[in-house]
Amino acid sequence: MKRRLSAGNYLVLLCAFAFFVVPMIAAIEFSLRGDQGTTHGLSNYRWILAQEGFGANLFTSARLAAITAILVLLLMVPTIVYLHLGGARWKRIIEFICLVPLVVPVISYAMGVATAMPIFLQSTVYELSFLYVIVTMPYTYRALDVGLSSIPLLTLVEASKSAGATMRQTLVLVVMPSIRSAINGAIFLSVALALGEFTLAVLLHWDTFPTWINNVAQSNVLGAVSLSVFSLVGAWLVVLVVAVGPKSKHSDQNQEA
Amino acid sequence: MSHVVAERTNALNKGAGPLSYIRRGGALVSLLPLIPFLAFIGYFLAFPLAFIVRDSFLDNDKHFTLHNFALCFQGVYGHSFLVSVRLSVISAFIGAVAGAFIAHSIMRTGQRTRRAVAATSSVLANTGGVPLAFMFIASFGAQGLVTKLLKFLGWDLYGGSFTLFSAAGVTFVYCFFQIPLMVLIFSPALENMKPEWREASDSLGGTPFTYFRRIAIPVLFPAFLSTSLLLFANAFSAYATARAMTSGTLPLMPLLIGNLVDGNVIANEKHLGHALAVCMIGVSVIVMTIYALVLRYSKVKK
Amino acid sequence: MSNQHGISVNLQGVTKTYGTVVALNNFNLDIAPGELVALLGPSGCGKTTALRILAGLDTQHSGQILVDGKDIVGVPANKRNMGMVFQAYSLFPTMTVLENIAYGMRVRHISKEKQVARANELLELVGLQETGKRLSHQLSGGQQQRVALARALAIEPSVLLLDEPLSALDAQVRTQLRDEIKRIQTEVGTTTLFVTHDQEEAMAIADRVGVMRHGVLEQCASPQAVYLNPINVSVAKFVGAMNLLPAVVTTNNELEIYGQSVGWRNPDGLTARSGRALVRPEQLLLGSPTTDRPANAIVTNQTFLGPLTRISAKVMSDGNTLHVEMPSIEASDYPIGKNVVVTIQATSVLLDA
Ligand SMILES: Nc1ncnc2c1ncn2[C@@H]1O[C@H](COP(=O)(O)OP(=O)(O)OP(=O)(O)O)[C@@H](O)[C@H]1O
Ligand SMILES: [Mg+2]
Repeated sequence: MKRRLSAGNYLVLLCAFAFFVVPMIAAIEFSLRGDQGTTHGLSNYRWILAQEGFGANLFTSARLAAITAILVLLLMVPTIVYLHLGGARWKRIIEFICLVPLVVPVISYAMGVATAMPIFLQSTVYELSFLYVIVTMPYTYRALDVGLSSIPLLTLVEASKSAGATMRQTLVLVVMPSIRSAINGAIFLSVALALGEFTLAVLLHWDTFPTWINNVAQSNVLGAVSLSVFSLVGAWLVVLVVAVGPKSKHSDQNQEA
Repeated sequence: MSHVVAERTNALNKGAGPLSYIRRGGALVSLLPLIPFLAFIGYFLAFPLAFIVRDSFLDNDKHFTLHNFALCFQGVYGHSFLVSVRLSVISAFIGAVAGAFIAHSIMRTGQRTRRAVAATSSVLANTGGVPLAFMFIASFGAQGLVTKLLKFLGWDLYGGSFTLFSAAGVTFVYCFFQIPLMVLIFSPALENMKPEWREASDSLGGTPFTYFRRIAIPVLFPAFLSTSLLLFANAFSAYATARAMTSGTLPLMPLLIGNLVDGNVIANEKHLGHALAVCMIGVSVIVMTIYALVLRYSKVKK
Repeated sequence: MSNQHGISVNLQGVTKTYGTVVALNNFNLDIAPGELVALLGPSGCGKTTALRILAGLDTQHSGQILVDGKDIVGVPANKRNMGMVFQAYSLFPTMTVLENIAYGMRVRHISKEKQVARANELLELVGLQETGKRLSHQLSGGQQQRVALARALAIEPSVLLLDEPLSALDAQVRTQLRDEIKRIQTEVGTTTLFVTHDQEEAMAIADRVGVMRHGVLEQCASPQAVYLNPINVSVAKFVGAMNLLPAVVTTNNELEIYGQSVGWRNPDGLTARSGRALVRPEQLLLGSPTTDRPANAIVTNQTFLGPLTRISAKVMSDGNTLHVEMPSIEASDYPIGKNVVVTIQATSVLLDA
């Protein structure tokens, strides 16, 4: 339902808009400056593209994001669906476990991982995805839990079962489409995290897009600002298109993440 | 049908041994589908945590010691504890209040706008590190757009002691991800507020203020407090942004641990990093215990 | 359509407990091929439980379930081929009406053309040809339940199970859809178990009505038999309205009620010599009072029920209030405050000790 916005609401939204947009505009302006700080142009962006490792690291991070999202779905969706059905008695415990990563500062976690599993971490950069699944768990759990609570899950599952579907078919054909916005939310969160995560990557000595930006920033401030603009606006556009772009078939669910 | 007979016997022995055995068996069986999840958590979370806790109690010769923890609260480390906690409290408070107002204002906009805001918030809440630092440097740095604009308007930002690279500056920058996180997490609580409550309050003669005071605040307070604590934990553990902004010069816990980990470590402080990490977990655990208690005593929700 | 002859269902000695609650207690029910049985009973008596056990959504602790003579213990729900219609909200929200109906065929990997053809056929059967492309929230409650019915029928189920499918609907849609379910069931000939707590609904739709209490099936017989010849006091009290009138057993083994002698049955084997007789409102007649009889009463209220009117009358001698039902046309003879005499017109009543 759409209600009228009061003057106070407009004021709040205007302030918020200013706080979040001004730094972006400033960064964009900054990134368009030339070497002497006078002329404006795209020279900094051309400089980015010329840097060694730009494409490769971007690709690494994109793949990390995709793997993280897939892992989150594979691990969390069946688990949380089960907690809403037969495994209700474990729900409070699992809920608590999912909150634990909030309690553990990422830097502490990074230290633990480095000590506990040195061999695991040497094999490939994509294993960072497993750690990202842990770090986003409090948020992805919440998004999916809220989504599942908002549908008559038990009735839908039983209806599907008595129509002859297996549990896997029920998950894919009935449950996942019904909580699509919650799943989207979980995907945004894991993708956004994986694209921007710096602490784990740098402390475990892997090269990802964020660590690469950090290295490049040491040598060229203007270039670093351009990169920042590029990565932030890029991530934002991707998520925005997924969230608002396709007209949802069912409009009764809210986007909650 | 022999097992039917057996089951019938069990049903007859109601409450006695056999049935309670089945119940216990049932609990274990109901755990089976959770095995993948528990295995994942066990390997990727419990295992690393156990290791840092163990190492925090070891000296360089792998003997048990409490010395590491003694160091944690002395000198620069003790000081950085205070700075970190203060910074996190302030940025959590600002983020929670501002975020709650924004979430409330957004409630009244349309479906698609709210979706866009949620998506944007999830990106902004995850901004950090170099991109965030450079956005603020580009705006409020000595050469930044806002700085220049203000100078043009006659206010020299850098006339006094202002600097973006102090604790206050970092707090200000943290708001950029703290506020969206609040919006993201607090919005569902607001959406659960029934319009009927407001209507009932009005029709019973309540003013907007009595509604706010008697209904909105009691209903929302638990969610507000618990989200604030979450923001605290978020700021407390933030590393990338602080590092990018201050190159590790500000005395913050995560930065100190980072320095220790990064290699330039004095030999006898090898496990000090582990102890500091455990201390940080300790602070968060205290905060999250409050969070859990708040949730427990707020069953009125929903 | 297939299943023209239906399939038999036998539940034998089914027992189910939840902790200390006995939801089904040695439950026996035989359903003939193509028959529609309605399960009726107070809330919590185990109706849903019986249905869910038959569907395989719950498992019994003991007892057997035979479908077409074969024991189906251990067969999972998705292999039992039973069409189930739930109380409400069971349509898949992300699928169109047609997709919902085709779902059971889709998971059976039936070809797309056949799915569409049969789904359309069923849509026509439930009278919703126009709505195939819509989503569930674009349908009214009654339409949603029709789609749920079509979806259950689409898999050509051996047994159709309906758990209070009409209870979320308003009265008018309810009767309409009830008659439609009966028509479709007769047409398709599927053996059907229909759960409801609405007596009128059960009576109207069922070949046989099963009355349950505390997890036990007390009587399962034609609607007429259940109403006219309840097997015991609890069935009699549950089905239809009853007056409870003070009664004494006389020496020639009749009941004396307000000075009148009435024959009685004793299926529960009562030994008490007095109690309360169960008399239906339509078994009471009102007349003009003559002398000072124990059955003299005064009209205290009139409730208009359409063709019938219920008249409440307070018996002078003991202060009890009786309910009498009579055609509304005659009710104007008995305005509130009028003195009347109550006559019992029954040959065989039950006694509740
Ligand atoms: N999952 C469960 N756990 C514990 N007890 C249950 C469960 N399901 C049902 N029961 C109990 O079993 C008994 C029978 O329940 P059932 O749902 O079959 O009743 P019902 O006849 O369908 O009632 P209604 O008309 O209210 O739907 C009730 O006492 C109920 O409390
Ligand atoms: Mg029921």
